[in-house]
Amino acid sequence: MRLRQLRGWLARVAGFFNYENREREFAQELECHLQMHIEDNLRAGLTPEEARRQALIKMGGVAQTKENHRRQRGLPLIEILIQDLRYGLRMLAKRPGITLIAVLSLALGIGANTAIFSLVNTIMLRPLPVENPEQLVSLRNEVGGKVGMAFSYPNYKDFRDRNDVFAALIGYRFAPLSVSHDGINEKLWGYVVTGNYFEALGVSAVLGRAISTDDDRLPGAHPVTVLSYKCWQQRFGSDQSIIGKSIIANGRSFTVIGVAPQGFFGTEFIAAPELWFPMSMQGEIEMGSPWLDRRDVEQTYVQGRLKPGVGVAQAQAALNSIALQLEREFPDINEGKRVVVAPPGIMSDAMRGALLNFAEVLMIVVAFALLLACTNLANLLLARATERRKEIAVRLSLGASRRRVVLQLLAESMLLAAGGGLIGLMLAWWLVRLAVGIKLPIDFPLLIDLHIDYRVLLFTCLISLATGVLFGLLPALQTTKIDLITALKDERSFGGHRRSWLKSGLIVLQVALSLVLLVGGGLMLRALEQAQTIKLGFDPQNAIEVTFDLRLQGYDNDRGREFQKRLLDRVRTLPGVESAGIVDLTPVDLHFGRSPVFIEGQMPERIINAPRAMASRISPGYLQAMRTRLIDGRDFSERDDESAPRVAIINEAFARRFWPGENPIGKRFSQGSAQSPLMEVVGVVEDGMYAGLSDDAQPYVCRPLLQSYSGATTLVARTDSDPQKLLAVIRNESQQIDPRMPITSRLLIEKMSMSLLPARIAASVLGGFGLLALALAAIGIYGVMSQAVSRRTHEIGIRMALGAQASDVLKLTMRQGTMLTLVGVVIGLSGALALTQLMKRFLFGVSATDPLTYIAVAALLVAVSLVACYLPAWRATKIDPTVALRYQ
Amino acid sequence: MSDKSDVWQGTLALMVLKTLEALGPLHGYGIARRIEQTSGDLLSINYGTLYPSLLKLEQEGYISSEWGTSDNNRKAKYYKLTRAGRRQLARATRSWEQTTEILARFFAPAQES
Repeated sequence: MRLRQLRGWLARVAGFFNYENREREFAQELECHLQMHIEDNLRAGLTPEEARRQALIKMGGVAQTKENHRRQRGLPLIEILIQDLRYGLRMLAKRPGITLIAVLSLALGIGANTAIFSLVNTIMLRPLPVENPEQLVSLRNEVGGKVGMAFSYPNYKDFRDRNDVFAALIGYRFAPLSVSHDGINEKLWGYVVTGNYFEALGVSAVLGRAISTDDDRLPGAHPVTVLSYKCWQQRFGSDQSIIGKSIIANGRSFTVIGVAPQGFFGTEFIAAPELWFPMSMQGEIEMGSPWLDRRDVEQTYVQGRLKPGVGVAQAQAALNSIALQLEREFPDINEGKRVVVAPPGIMSDAMRGALLNFAEVLMIVVAFALLLACTNLANLLLARATERRKEIAVRLSLGASRRRVVLQLLAESMLLAAGGGLIGLMLAWWLVRLAVGIKLPIDFPLLIDLHIDYRVLLFTCLISLATGVLFGLLPALQTTKIDLITALKDERSFGGHRRSWLKSGLIVLQVALSLVLLVGGGLMLRALEQAQTIKLGFDPQNAIEVTFDLRLQGYDNDRGREFQKRLLDRVRTLPGVESAGIVDLTPVDLHFGRSPVFIEGQMPERIINAPRAMASRISPGYLQAMRTRLIDGRDFSERDDESAPRVAIINEAFARRFWPGENPIGKRFSQGSAQSPLMEVVGVVEDGMYAGLSDDAQPYVCRPLLQSYSGATTLVARTDSDPQKLLAVIRNESQQIDPRMPITSRLLIEKMSMSLLPARIAASVLGGFGLLALALAAIGIYGVMSQAVSRRTHEIGIRMALGAQASDVLKLTMRQGTMLTLVGVVIGLSGALALTQLMKRFLFGVSATDPLTYIAVAALLVAVSLVACYLPAWRATKIDPTVALRYQ
Repeated sequence: MSDKSDVWQGTLALMVLKTLEALGPLHGYGIARRIEQTSGDLLSINYGTLYPSLLKLEQEGYISSEWGTSDNNRKAKYYKLTRAGRRQLARATRSWEQTTEILARFFAPAQES
């Protein structure tokens, strides 16, 4: 039975096509039916006319029969829908200009939303490319309320071996690599991972085998590596015989044992290192700083796969009971250390928060832009419906149901929305490709894997649908709720306020929306302007930096010093170089960390409570090369080496923080731990920016590189000629000293612009949409005002005939528009005050309630809308009373 | 309203199938006349209503149609029962008899209990 019904429906679907033929065939059948009936009637003795009449009566109406047959034949609902859509298309095609504007503004809104959504999708929604990613969690190392990402390796091993809540607990760490293969030197990133890593994640090699626990037994004894698919493809040309070949990484030979599957990039959303090494090789990969036996070095990131049925709270409790054991066993190191179970990934909560905050601001902006496009669409549909008032009235009075007419109007808005959605999707695709194409000048394998997947598609479909229905329905409902008699008589009502609440509401909304967007954009612009004047504490113009990591090439401290000195000496003698110096961390570097400071005579009770300061190690000449002003005391010299007393240079903020009102020169402190040797302050430099741009000056310490060696350093040089050329020359010098040394180099200016990138993006997006909003609002106000005026032509004529002056008419007509604008401005201002709080993080040096921005934007909006009001009002005063009175 | 027409459509379909079983292939006009005659002219239908019913039966595969020539040399569309149609007719007849029997018991004078 069911099958029969299905067959029936299939036949109807078939009947939906080939409409013409079936129609003709049925007409023939009916005709034949009638003829037979007429012949019978004639035989019964009726006159020819009567015979025909009787046959038709008996039939029950030819047209009706045909219609009933059609209904049974095809799919009436769909046919009506198609009819409506066709009709909608015809109506839209009649006004191509307006249609185009509507579709494009929708496309802009939907496209921007889709693009931003694909970003959020990447950060938050996409699962990790591993088996059952929902079971994975990251462990955080908490001590005294401060949350760290990494654990010491011995602690990790204890957690791994003593817990009974994890199916597996893995440890890993990023490692910078200098890889040589086929005569090419490259600086890459890799992971060192514990032996259970691949098995726990459920990832097996597509070629060869993955790293196993057997590769992670004896430190230094397992020189093997697994390549990522991308690395294998791009650097080794998908060489099928790669297994068993060796590559040189950080000066040591490793055998390739496998290739990871495509799409597996580790367990971090934003980073994609290219090689995996067993944890047992950590000492070889990070030459000179082995930490596998060090309980006091916290370098291991830990992730775990929860056993089925184990919750986060239970896991955390179990781990903390182990943490208590470890605290008893190693009180010096593990005092107060607790474990927090967190979502997978080492992206710190603060970083994730910042990223989400940025995405949030963008989301709100694009949501507003879409809302704006929608109000525009609603306005357009409303205007269109008003034009068609008479037609709609005719159809309603002829018996069309209101539902039917509303559906027809909806079909039109759905068409617009669908068009907007389609173009919007293309726009988003283009935007995403553009974003992926941006090569960020960051020394990290950042994974910007934005793409349009099914979630994004679904999102686009849903918002298009929602826009179409929501903003088509309101005008459609309003238009079909008309007084048939007045509509048919084409009467103009006086005043005309009654039906325009929706229109007024839309104007108010548009003004408010554009105000919020413009304020946002204005604030960002002000912030950018401020950032130009922000006190950097150095001069990025005409300076370059060249970064090289000597540890990766297996340099020990002495050879490293030698290299640094030789390079510096060579660069200093280059023509055009004013000054040069070496530093371990350059501003504005995110690697900057704060380490505890112990002032002589001000010892804190617990290490956790020690105040912290940023620190970097510099060579003589660095401050000069950066043009950092020395305020007091002296710079370091070549004599401040290991045999000399320990010295330090601090910034003003440091001096203010620890020795307020005193002369800091000659004071002593230590940094890192309370046992570190005391350093004597020999100089004070101006405050500056260190770990990124921020509002307030951070305490900062410089130590001589000669007293505290670092192998990962950057050479900074200042030139009076073309810095770009200098880059090439310095590269060449470095090659001459060590041809295998991988270096990265860039202009300091480039690096600065990078840190302002989020602000730039936000400012241009907000500003762009704000201006668009302003234009749309102005057009909207103008449209509403012109309509209001033309509706009141008759009334104005009477008023003028009775002696009203042009100025009275102007006042009368402008009052409405001005009121709407002011209401919109008030709503917009309060909205902006609330929403710009979210942007605080990106506004360096500008308050989120910056009065200048608010006043300027509000004034701009009022001015624009007054002009939009004035034009129709001015036209109203030109009305000739005699014409107006006749005008009906 | 729609319930009533559903019942009517079901009954009409049954009549059509029965007519085709009795008379063999027949055109729409013939079926209509036959139904009217069989009902002893108690049933007066608009002939037009027959056609959607025929179409539905054809869509469900109970009858098939083809163009043929009538007795007085007129081109007409002839409907005939398919095998599925015969089965359906048997089923529907049984169910109809059952229904009438049950209803008959209700309307018959009460006997015991």
